[in-house]
Amino acid sequence: MGRQIKLRLESRIGYVDLVHELAEGLARRAGFSKSSALNIGLAVREAAINAIKHGNGMDVKKPIEVSFEERGDLFRIRVRDRGPGFDWAQTANPLDRENIYRTSGRGIFFMKHFVDRVAFQRRPGKGTEVILEKRFEQAARAGRSGDAVRSIKRRKG
Amino acid sequence: MKANTRHHGKVTVVDLSGKITIGEGDIKLKQAVNALLDEGRKNIILNLGGVSYMDSAGIGELVACFKRARDKEASLKLLNPNGKVQDLLILTKLQEIFDIYRDEREALASF
Repeated sequence: MGRQIKLRLESRIGYVDLVHELAEGLARRAGFSKSSALNIGLAVREAAINAIKHGNGMDVKKPIEVSFEERGDLFRIRVRDRGPGFDWAQTANPLDRENIYRTSGRGIFFMKHFVDRVAFQRRPGKGTEVILEKRFEQAARAGRSGDAVRSIKRRKG
Repeated sequence: MKANTRHHGKVTVVDLSGKITIGEGDIKLKQAVNALLDEGRKNIILNLGGVSYMDSAGIGELVACFKRARDKEASLKLLNPNGKVQDLLILTKLQEIFDIYRDEREALASF
């Protein structure tokens, strides 16, 4: 099993940049290209915004939890909130003509575009977990020097 | 995110730089465009050349600015979206509703 970095934060929009930068930085260290790492950062950013705004309703007492993990050929991020959940299957397609002028509703669309797989899991009584997965690029994987999560743990240790 | 405003006759150019994201960039963008609309400016160009990326909140605010300008019978156009910003405009199909220019002189002459 791959090692993990876990982050637990109050539901403050001000922490979204931190989560994005950590995701992008870890993705770069894992060997993703600059462009792919930015995409991963943007997807995680949207998941964090969703968790803080729509999941926890901006209630700072409710934490969000973000974890990063390298597992096999996947870079996996989980974002958890403590909210009542929402029906993610019912979100409107922002590309539909009637939605093009909407000023919100593009977050999940961005997530799905920027990573290979997005899954939502309702945790009864505990909130929602969003799982984002990005497969390692073949060239990047061949060239990467080691496990990004492990290398950070080494430095901390 | 920074927003600097220049006036070229009847046209106002807002040079944006940094990132347009939730909680800061989106708010500054809103404030900059609202100030111009409140002054009665009718022809606005948002120069996105210095913007590295936007998130869904930034994109949403861009659409909101477009709609507010339209409601006040003003016109808001985009200049020089690069890299990720251009990708996002294409991805969201917003390049179909915005007038987008690569050349500032051409953008200025378009009003």
